[in-house]
Amino acid sequence: MSWESIIPNVLAGESQSLAGTAPAAAMDNEQFAAFYARSARSLWAYLARVSRDPGLADDLTQEAYVRFLCADRPQDGEVAARRYLFKIATNLLRDHWRRPQSSSIDEIPEAVFAATASEDHSESVAMLGLAMAQMRPRDRQLLWLAYAEGYSHHEIAQITGLASASIRLLLFRARRKMARLLRDGGEA
Amino acid sequence: MSPFTCPRERELSTLLHSGHWPRACPDDLHTHVASCRNCSDLVLVTGALQAARRHTVELPRLEPAGAIWWRAQLRRRNAAIEKVGRPILGAQIFAVAMALVVVAAIAISQFGNWSVWFSDLPGTFHLTALIPSSMSENSTLWIIVPVITTIALLSGILAYFASEKQ
Ligand SMILES: [Zn+2]
Repeated sequence: MSWESIIPNVLAGESQSLAGTAPAAAMDNEQFAAFYARSARSLWAYLARVSRDPGLADDLTQEAYVRFLCADRPQDGEVAARRYLFKIATNLLRDHWRRPQSSSIDEIPEAVFAATASEDHSESVAMLGLAMAQMRPRDRQLLWLAYAEGYSHHEIAQITGLASASIRLLLFRARRKMARLLRDGGEA
Repeated sequence: MSPFTCPRERELSTLLHSGHWPRACPDDLHTHVASCRNCSDLVLVTGALQAARRHTVELPRLEPAGAIWWRAQLRRRNAAIEKVGRPILGAQIFAVAMALVVVAAIAISQFGNWSVWFSDLPGTFHLTALIPSSMSENSTLWIIVPVITTIALLSGILAYFASEKQ
């Protein structure tokens, strides 16, 4: 008996054992391509803005999708799938920051975002970059998820693993600081 | 009401995310935002982050979806192979351990009979010539020790090959 003939049975057994879930790989190549086209840019933007490292965002975006496809995810439609994807990406970011060899995210220049902005927007983009640089990584995550992606406090709790009750206060503090930085031109 | 919320924040947030702020909003909300620190912060921060999002989503050069899909298939396949292989390795180690236990048990229980047989063996095969004369009294031990050592060695090699295969 070849490995190839065993594997589908093993995978089928796995999926059957988890009631209410199914492997994301049940998504065929074309379905995945469509989902990827709709979600990859916003996932990359989240990773790039929170990590302030576009190169890292490239790597983590790919890894997030591979893990998404390998995982047994809840089948509640595209909104839940996107949320699950952001959760995977958030965990990848956390793992990256925990690794001792990774460089400090505060040492990474913001220049790439400002350099690519149009003339009309370059000043506001640069100001946002400066303000984001002053924020702690967790605050950047919360702010981006709440105000750029429009996730509710409950959804942010699901994505970040933080207690739902603490999200409101954490977001309030982060938003107040961010607003002050933006009014001051991004300077602390 | 907690000190970090405003009763109009939810309404304002909905309008911001639906794109209705600032044009399609009641005048009193504009007046409120101008005088409320929470709501003016919300407008400022949401506006800046939404603008950053619109700009940032245009930047990435994404890898083709097909490449990611195939990489995921490969990883699932490798994970499945590993999953299938794990119990096989466990069974091999268990079998080797059980064989060793059985051999040891038989050796202990039959030691009396075998010692007689082994003591005749050197004479039968003229092995006494190989044993130093000073050790010839312990000739039984000289046969049993290498036999047990060989079994143990073979078991070790078996276990090693099993793990290498894994
Ligand atoms: Zn208010």
